[in-house]
Formats: sequence, structure tokens, C-alpha cells
Amino acid sequence: MRTQSKLYFYIALSAILLFIIAVWSLNTGVYDFGGRSAFEVLGKLIREDSGVSVSDKYIVWDVRASRIIMAILIGSMLSVSGTSLQGLFKNPLATGDLIGLTSGATLMAAITIVLGRHFREFFPEAVQFSLVGIAAFIGSLLAMLLVYRISTSGGKTNVVMMLLTGVAISAIGFSIVGFLIYISKDDQLRDLTFWNMGSLAAATWTKNAILAVVLVFSFSILMPKGKALNAMMLGEKDAQHLGINVEKLKKEVIIITALMVGSCVAFSGTIGFVGLIVPYILRLLFKSNYAFILPLSAICGSILLLTADTFSRSIVEPSELPIGILTAMMGAPIFIAILIKFKKSM
Amino acid sequence: MKKLILAVSVLAAVSSCKKETSKPTENKAEVSSEAPKTNNKIVTLNGGITEIVSALGHDSEIVATDVTSTYPESLKATAKDLGHVRSMTIEPIMAVSPTLILASDKDINPDLVGKIKASGIKTELFKQEFTVGGTKKLIADVAKAIGNTDYQKLNDKIDADLKQVQPIAKKPKVLFIYARGNMMMVSGKNTPMAALINLAGGENAINDFEDFKPLTPEAVVKANPDVLFFFTSGLQGSGGNEGALKMPGVSQTNAGKNKKIIAMDGGLVSGFGPRLGEAAVALNKLLVENTK
Repeated sequence: MRTQSKLYFYIALSAILLFIIAVWSLNTGVYDFGGRSAFEVLGKLIREDSGVSVSDKYIVWDVRASRIIMAILIGSMLSVSGTSLQGLFKNPLATGDLIGLTSGATLMAAITIVLGRHFREFFPEAVQFSLVGIAAFIGSLLAMLLVYRISTSGGKTNVVMMLLTGVAISAIGFSIVGFLIYISKDDQLRDLTFWNMGSLAAATWTKNAILAVVLVFSFSILMPKGKALNAMMLGEKDAQHLGINVEKLKKEVIIITALMVGSCVAFSGTIGFVGLIVPYILRLLFKSNYAFILPLSAICGSILLLTADTFSRSIVEPSELPIGILTAMMGAPIFIAILIKFKKSM
Repeated sequence: MKKLILAVSVLAAVSSCKKETSKPTENKAEVSSEAPKTNNKIVTLNGGITEIVSALGHDSEIVATDVTSTYPESLKATAKDLGHVRSMTIEPIMAVSPTLILASDKDINPDLVGKIKASGIKTELFKQEFTVGGTKKLIADVAKAIGNTDYQKLNDKIDADLKQVQPIAKKPKVLFIYARGNMMMVSGKNTPMAALINLAGGENAINDFEDFKPLTPEAVVKANPDVLFFFTSGLQGSGGNEGALKMPGVSQTNAGKNKKIIAMDGGLVSGFGPRLGEAAVALNKLLVENTK
């Protein structure tokens, strides 16, 4: 019970921190509300005051607030997917990137960006604008399916095979993307580059609603898995003896992770390292107790991504730095730290 | 008596002037020989479109532009630079509180188009074609969008300028090299450069492919251009004429052997706006000099 109340304390603490960052983020940006703060405008909006101009409302609600919510949703999902995969594979480097999900998504997105003009018109207009996102989602699911098929035999999934297949799929994906880059035109090349560095600039409430549905569904399945993941640390056989259905656990974690990574990549492009950094820091603080770090990573991922996004849109005004650059900048040193720590055991 | 009439007429003139400045909106028709005064705050997101708006006398209404809008230079001081149109986001655009956004339909990325539409700001996306007819149509379309019908003089000037292009007996083969950092691209068919080269009495050296492709030594030797054509900035970045002559394959070509290298301002070459005629004449002059 003591650990339980400790968990609630940390969750409350990080939730307050997240709220403070969200407030700061709402008031950060190049748009000027005629000397007023964003809070005043938001307050008036909530009170349905008629004195708010259309532009002010648009910026506060449709641009900044929707973007903040998207950062919270995506940060949370990327981080939880990383935490679950790392728990499942007992490997601190296991993330959506590593088992090929991101590269599958990137490949399909690149195909749509570069070759899209040949098939775009066959889709209804409502779908055309989100074609890249849909393709990315399908790409991530396909990669997952392929990895799973190759690494499963006789109903059992071999984890090492899975990681190796992920490496192979990434290699194939990046070589084809390389070819697409070669044949792409100037503007396509730019789209591709920016997509590969990730951005939350295209946030809308519709996208947030879809992401929220995915999040609620995924978390309701993954969050109760903390104890099962703890058991997995003993090894698959011992976990089985403890009454964990290991194969079912693997299946669930992998499918849900693909769903989350796919949806995130679909709406924001590839944002690396979030799934790597957050679980790593949490493990340093709270040891590898997944019942503890799984729910915490959900909030800490949001904190990380929202902070990164707020910086990304305020340090090089009036343009913005792609968010993937910032997360990579934060993530790469941690990646190196992991490598050094595990040097002896590798 | 004469003095009196003069004094009265001067007074009348002065007072009418005052009226005009105090109520500019009511006198739209009277001042239409200049640009009609509107309260537009325009964001232009394409170099050619920026030039058109400015040439129609509306440069004071431009509040922000993209990175390709390099002409007229005075805009640098009065309009905000929003960076490259592919990486632009909505908030900096909204921050200049525009009433009208003008862009080319190809440049702007779909996400931003969606955001701009949602913001409710009046937006016009133009189709840009790299031909004389396409340029004239663009001028007419942009003029209509900003409420200025007095655009014929711009189109007439293009025609007048184009008449000054001297025919060149033996059309020189011109290879445009787009140098950007370490990346070298050559322009094929359907590029603004190919179109301008043709207008200026030359022949685009490579017609096997459309758009731009990376430069390879074999392709350069095979194309065997008579003249190499750069953006001024690109040529500087590649180490000037000497750098260009050292590029792989160049020394094997007529252009390399005869050291025929020319450069023009990027905005002038690729803008396809009101200065199209000027650009063609300038390139024609360079080609004539280099084919003697």
C-alpha cells in the first residue's frame, strides 16, 4: 500500500508540472494578442465573451491549445510504447524505432509524398489531405505484421529474432526511402526532410480526438500490465511459472505498440528518442518496477514532448525548429550513457 | 483680377488635396491612375507574386513575404520574412494580422493550406506557368485579387522588353547548374531556367528529363553545352569561374574549353513575374556576348 500511495504522489507531482508547462506553452508564441496575455483571451473564450476577435480565438484555441494537447497525447503514447517494449524485451534499447515500426511508417509516408501525385486523385477529397498520415499508419502496422510473422514459429515469438528482423526491415525501408529521395523534386525533398524530423504544427482538434481514442483504448489494455512486465524480467520461463500468459502478453504489447506508434507517426512525422529517454530516466529513479514506471512514463512523456515543442516553436522565431531535432539532441547523450553502462555486459 | 483667380484656384487645389488625403477611400476612382488605396495587409508567399503586387504599386500593403521574395529589396525593411514556404507554420503568418494571403498552389504545403483555410483569412492560390502567356495570366489574376485592374502596362512592358531580344544565329546550348552547398543539380525540361533560356534565344542543353537532376560528369560531357549558366550566389558558393571550370566533366565541354560561364540573379531568373522581359533581355545579352 505504501508504494501505491507513493505512486499517486509522484503522479500528482508530475501532473502539476505538466499543467504548469502547458500554461507556459499557451502563452508562448509570436502572435500578439494586442497587449493581452493568452490567458485573458482564453478566459474570455470560456465565458463566451463576445469581445474576442476571430483571429485571437483561432490562435489560442485552434493553434496553440490544440497543439499543446497533441504534444501531451503523442508524448504520452510514444513514451508508454517505449516503456512496454523495453519491459517485454528486457532491453533498454527496444523502441518502436528498433523493431522497424517507425521505418515502416516512414517508408509509406515517403512513397506518398514523392509518388502521391500519381495516385492521389483516386481517393476522395477528404482523404487526400491526410493521405500521408494514413499511409504512415498502414506502414507501421505492416512492418509490425512482418516482424511478428518472421519471428514467430509454433506460436512462440523469439525476441532476438524480432529485434534482428526489425533491423533488417529498417535497412530495407531506409534504402527505398533513399531511392525516393534521389528521384524526388525540390519541394518533395523538403516535405520529406521535414516529415522525417517531426512536427506538431499540423495539430487540429479532429486529429486530437482520434489520438485520444487510440490513447484511451491502448492505455486501458497496457496499464494493468505492470506486474506481468515485472515478472518478464525473470525470464520467459519463470514468468510462465508465475501464471503469466507470456505469448498473449507479447501479442498484446506488440499490437498495441504498433497501433500507438503508427497513429503518432501518422499525425506528427517521426519524433525519435522519446520512447527511449523517458523510460530510461524513470528506471534510474525508480528501478525497473513497471507497475510504477508504466503510469509515470505516460505523464513524463507528455512533459518531455510538450517542453520540446514549446522550445521548437519559440527559439528561432518566426520559423520553427523541427521537434525531432530537439528530442534527438536530448536523446542521443542518454543513448550514449546507456551504451557505456551496458558496455561490460554486451 | 488675374492674381485673385490664381489665388482662388490654388486654394481650391490645396483644399481638394486635403480632402483626398483625409478621405482616401471615397476617392478611389480619382486616384486610380496610381494604385488604388486599399487597407489590405497582404502576405505574399512566392517571389514572382511579390514582384507583381509590388509592381502594381501595392508594396506598402505587403506585410510579410517568404524567403524567395528578394525583389524589390526595399521590402526587406518593411515586410517580415517568414522563411521557406515548405516549413512555414500558421502562427507567424497570423502574427502579422493579414487580410489577404497570396501564394502559388505548388509551393505551399497541404497542412498549411488547411490551417490557413481554417483561420478564415482570404487566400488566393495561383497556378504558375513558366511561359510568357502564363506570366501575363498570373499578373492579371494577382491584379484582380488585390483589386487593381490597371495591370496592362506590366504585360505591355514584358512584350516591349521581349522585342529587344536579339536573335542568335547559332543557338547556343546552355546548361543551367543549380549549385546549393555541395549538391549540384542541372535543369531539364519544364524548369523556369529552360523556359527563360529559350526565350533568350538559347537552347536548354538537357532535354532528356524534366525538372532537376544531380549533375554527373557523363551527363555534362554528353550535353556538351556552349555556355554554363549559374545563379550569381550559386557561382560564388562554388568558387567562382575557376571553381565552375574544375567541376567534373566541365573541361571536356565547349563551355569549359572556351571558359564561357555566365551568372544572373536567382530571383530575376526564376521569378517569372513582371521582370520576365528584363530577365530574357539580360540573358540574351550575355548569350550574345558569349557566342561571338
